[in-house]
Amino acid sequence: MTLFLQQVINGLSLGGIYALIALGYTMVYGIIELINFAHGDVYTLGTFFSLAILALLGVTGIVSGPMLIVVVVVTILGAMLLCGLTGVVIERLAYRRLRNAPKLAPLITAVGMSFILENLMQYWKGPSPVAFPQVIPNPAFAIGAVTIEAKQMMVILLAIVLMIVLQTFVRHSRLGKAMRATAQDKDAAQLMGIDINTTIALTFLIGSALAGAAGFVSGVYYGSTWFLNGFAAGLKAFTAAVLGGIGNIAGAMLGGFLIGLIEALTTQFISDQWANVVVFSVLVLVLIFRPTGLLGESLPNKV
Amino acid sequence: MRLPQNSRAVAAIALAAVLTACNSSTSTTSTSAGSSGEPAAAGQTIKIGVDLPVSGADASIGIPTQNGAVLAVEEADKNGFAGGKFKLDTSLLDDAVQGKHDPAAGAQNVKTFIADSSVLAMVGPFNSNVAKAEIPLTNDAGLVQIAPSTTNDGLTIGDDAKKLRTAHPDVNTFFRVCTRDSRQGLALAQIAWQKLGYKKAFIIDDNETYGKGLADVFDASFKQLGGTVLGHEHTTANQQDFKALLTKAASLHPDVVFYGGTTSTGGGLVRKQMADAGLGKTPYLGGDGISDDEFEKVAGDSANGSYMTVAAPDASKLPSAKAFIAAYTARFKSNVGPYSANAYTAAKIEIAAIEKAINDAGGKMPTRADVLKYVAATKDFDSPIGKVGFDANGDTTSPILTLLEVTGGKKVTIEVITLKS
Repeated sequence: MTLFLQQVINGLSLGGIYALIALGYTMVYGIIELINFAHGDVYTLGTFFSLAILALLGVTGIVSGPMLIVVVVVTILGAMLLCGLTGVVIERLAYRRLRNAPKLAPLITAVGMSFILENLMQYWKGPSPVAFPQVIPNPAFAIGAVTIEAKQMMVILLAIVLMIVLQTFVRHSRLGKAMRATAQDKDAAQLMGIDINTTIALTFLIGSALAGAAGFVSGVYYGSTWFLNGFAAGLKAFTAAVLGGIGNIAGAMLGGFLIGLIEALTTQFISDQWANVVVFSVLVLVLIFRPTGLLGESLPNKV
Repeated sequence: MRLPQNSRAVAAIALAAVLTACNSSTSTTSTSAGSSGEPAAAGQTIKIGVDLPVSGADASIGIPTQNGAVLAVEEADKNGFAGGKFKLDTSLLDDAVQGKHDPAAGAQNVKTFIADSSVLAMVGPFNSNVAKAEIPLTNDAGLVQIAPSTTNDGLTIGDDAKKLRTAHPDVNTFFRVCTRDSRQGLALAQIAWQKLGYKKAFIIDDNETYGKGLADVFDASFKQLGGTVLGHEHTTANQQDFKALLTKAASLHPDVVFYGGTTSTGGGLVRKQMADAGLGKTPYLGGDGISDDEFEKVAGDSANGSYMTVAAPDASKLPSAKAFIAAYTARFKSNVGPYSANAYTAAKIEIAAIEKAINDAGGKMPTRADVLKYVAATKDFDSPIGKVGFDANGDTTSPILTLLEVTGGKKVTIEVITLKS
C-alpha cells in the first residue's frame, strides 16, 4: 500500500509536467484546430531560457531564505514571458498566413517549426544533456510511510494553480470571452468586433507561457535537459490533451495526471517497458467509447 | 500581393529542410583533399573508412575513438605507406542522428564506403545495434570491418551472428579488438559478487542490442554465482523519468543497481535519479557503455560510487602504449579516450593487411578480398594494447577488461583484468 501511494505521488509529479504542456496543446487546438507540433520544443526552450536566466542571476546551487522566492519568481516569469513571446512570433511568422490554407499546410509547417526549434536549441546548448542547477532546497516530507519531496509538491501544485487561473480567465474575463467566441466561429466573432488576430496571438502567448513554466519545473525536477527533450514529452502531453478531450482545459489537466499515474503504476506493478503500451491502450479504449475524450463535448464549445 | 506571402511560407519550409539536413549524418570529411578532381590519380589513393558516432551525446567517446584511427592512418601515410606507391587517407562518417547513434545512418555510411572503390577496409562501428545493421552489407560486399568497441555476443558467435552473414554465410567480414559481452558480463558479475561482495542486484537495461545483451549475461552469471536478482527491467527509448522504476527498485533494497546500456540511452540519468528515489548510497555498476566522460557530466555529484568496465585495457597503464599516447596527445592536444588505442590498433591491422595485399598484387591496387584474407589471418600483432589476433569468429584472442570507479567526480582505474580467451 505504501508503495502504491509512493508511486501515486511519482505519477502525479510526472503528470503535472504533462498537464502543463497539454494545456498549451489544447488551447491552440481549441481556437484554430491546429496541432502545434512545435509546442513540445517550446517546453524544452523554457528549460533553456530558465537556465540562461539563472546564469544571469549567478545562481549555481541551492538558494535559501527570501532570495529563493525572488529567484524562483524571476526565473519562472522570465521563462514564461520569453516562451510566450516565442509562441507569438511562431504564430505570426509561420501560422497566421496559413490560417485559411488547407489543413495540411499549417500542420506540416508546425512540424517544420519543431525541427527549426530543435536545431536552434542544439546549436545553442549542444547536443548533449545539459545540467540544471538544483535551485530549490528539496526536503522530503513524510506522510505516514510515504515521502513527498518539495519539488514534487511544487510540480503538482503549480499545475493545479495555473490550470485554475487559466480556467477562470477563459470563463470570466472579457479576453477569455473573445477567445471562446473566436473558437466557435472566427468570422462571426470578427463581425462582432473581436480582433481575432490579437485573440489568437493571446492564445499562443498563454499556451507557450505555460510551456515555459513547465520547462522551468522540469529542469528543477529532473536536474537536466537536452535539446530533444520536448519530443517525447510533447507526444505524451498531446496524448494527455486528446485523452482528456482536446480543446478542454480541465480535460488536459485530467489527461496529464492520468497518464503520469498510469506510467508510474504500470512500472511498479507490471514493468517499465510496458508503460507506453498501457498508456496508449487506455487512450485507444477511451477514444472507442468516448471519441471526444473524457471531458470533451461534441458541441462547438471549445477553449 | 499573393506572391510574397507564398514565397515566405516556402522559405520557412525550405529553412526547416536545410536545418534538418544539417543534422543528418552523411557528411563526408576527408582528412586531406589530395584525391579530389583527378580521376587518373584516384587509383593512387587507398582509404580506410571510419564510421563512428561523433556528434551528440556519443561524441565524448566517439571523437577520441575516431582520432585513434586517424592517427594510425596519418602515421602510416607519413612513413611511406606501401613504399610510397599509394597515398593513404581516411573517409570519416558520423552515424549519430539527432544526437544519438543510429543503425540506419550506420548502414547508409557503409553503403557509401562500399560504393567508393578506394575504400579497402573500415574501422567501426561503435555500437552493437549499428553493427547489426552493417554486417550484412559488409558481408555482401566483402569489405572488412574491425570494430573498436562493439561488444554484443550476437555479432560474432551463435545463430545471431550466422543470420547476419546473409549473402556469404561462410565468409566473416566482422572483427573486433574489444572483449565480447559474455566475457564482460561474466566478469562484471564476478566483480559484483567476489570483489565488491554484493548479494542482491537490481538490473535495468535500455532494451538495445548491447544493453540488453550485457544485462542478460550479468543476470545469468550473477545468479549462477549465488547472487539474487531482485528484478530486471527494460527502459524505453527517450525515457527521461526513471523515478517510478527506481522507487520500485528501492523498495526491494538492492546492494547494487546494475545498468546495461550507454550514457546516451539513459545510463547517466538513472544514476542521477537514484538519489531522489532513496538509492543515493547504493552503488551503481555498468559496462563500457557508461565509461564515457558524458556519464559524470549527466549524473553530476551522484556519479560517485559508480563502477564500470571498459572492454579494453587501460592504455595509460601499458608500457606498450607509451609511444601511442605521446603521439596522440601531440597530434590532438587532448587525452586519449577509453577506445582510442583500440581504434588505432584496428586501423593498424588493416593497414598492415593492405600492404601485404599490395605486395601480392605486385604493387597494384589490391582487392577487398585480399585485404580481408590478411586481416582474418592476424596473429600476435604488436599493438599498443598488446599482442592481438583474431579467432575464427572474428573475436580477439586476448580479451582484457579495465575496471573503473568514479570517485571525486573522476574515473580511477582499479584494476586491469585479463580474461581467458
